[in-house]
Amino acid sequence: MLRFTFSLAVVLLTFSGTAQEKKAIKTDSIKKDSLVLKKERYGLRLGVDLFKLTRSFYEKDYRGLELVGDYRVTRRHFIAGEIGNENKTVDDDRLNFTTKGTYLKVGFDYNTYENWGNMENVISLGMRYGVSSFTQTLNSYTLYDTYPYFGTVPEVPSGLVYKGLSAQWIEVVAGVKAKVFNNVFMGFSFRINRLFSQKKPDNFDNLYIPGFNRTYNGNFGVGFNYSISYFIPLYKSTVKPKIVTSATKKK
Amino acid sequence: MKKILLLLLVTLSLSSCEKDDVCTEDTTPRLIVNFYDISNPATLKNVVSLKVKGDGAYNNLDLGTFNGVSTIKLPLNPSTTSTLYHFTLNSASTSSSPNEDIIVFNYAAKTAYVSRACGFRTIFELTNPYGVVYSDATAPDTFWIQNLTVETTSITTENETHVKIYF
Repeated sequence: MLRFTFSLAVVLLTFSGTAQEKKAIKTDSIKKDSLVLKKERYGLRLGVDLFKLTRSFYEKDYRGLELVGDYRVTRRHFIAGEIGNENKTVDDDRLNFTTKGTYLKVGFDYNTYENWGNMENVISLGMRYGVSSFTQTLNSYTLYDTYPYFGTVPEVPSGLVYKGLSAQWIEVVAGVKAKVFNNVFMGFSFRINRLFSQKKPDNFDNLYIPGFNRTYNGNFGVGFNYSISYFIPLYKSTVKPKIVTSATKKK
Repeated sequence: MKKILLLLLVTLSLSSCEKDDVCTEDTTPRLIVNFYDISNPATLKNVVSLKVKGDGAYNNLDLGTFNGVSTIKLPLNPSTTSTLYHFTLNSASTSSSPNEDIIVFNYAAKTAYVSRACGFRTIFELTNPYGVVYSDATAPDTFWIQNLTVETTSITTENETHVKIYF
């Protein structure tokens, strides 16, 4: 929780950083000359995660679909989110289980990239709040017995279903989106997830959470997506020029 | 922005990663039997060449012959609801004749989740009141067990005594 508060503080700092930029404008020094003010497009970008889609084809134990979207709110800030569905079977030494469920992630992206001309690329850093609702099916298990005096018990088929499970987490996202042509963007993102609450089943555990990934091997989950998306332009906004005066230059 | 990236990287790298692929937790517990002196019930008494054998053991093996110990650990059969053990005292003695008594453990076996690495284990709940019943051998040769008490009916750990035998 402490780490989350810290991360949040870091994010809030980025907001305060952008607020500072406005001070650079000095209206009296703007000359009405031939300078054409830069206009930037604002709108909604919708896409699909190709990584999950292709994985569904080559990985027999996995089926997943994720839709991605973001909406530009300021020059640098985007409201972003993902919605998806996963069905994953994990075959471990002692356990075999299937997790299926739906997840939703909402948050924001902050574009750190300074675009030139008509470029609309994004190199972003952001955060997401993720929530997942899922069911787990225990397919089979092996009883752990260090002293099998009466012989080892073979793998036990189970088929037990644990319903109504849920989890919530926070993600830190680093991503890139590049305009490939017209309004089509390709991008990828890396995510590091930190679980903060989950509803565990009785006599079992949430070893895999849709949208979060596996919950073992460390405190953090990791994620990756590779998306193709289409930008729907809604309106244009003029970029307020930054005037560099001799006074500010000195700094 | 670079500073923020660096800060994030630092905070994330600080978190330790632990692997849990190896099962280290408590697994299926055995039933712990402690032997006490009937004439002095507070003191532990060592058994002398006590041969222990369970019915239905894999390959019909003995659990072992115990000598000079006051504690033995008995595996219970997780696929049934009762396990029968033959206890033969002085099994290898030349001075005194062997004496066999039979103890039947009646219980309910339950599957309990441990972890991803360990999977599931079995825990046992001895039936009340006839969880542990002792009797003489099929060919009667008098009892060597003088008294038997059940200390706890739930067998979930090997860190406690479950049954006390006085002889």
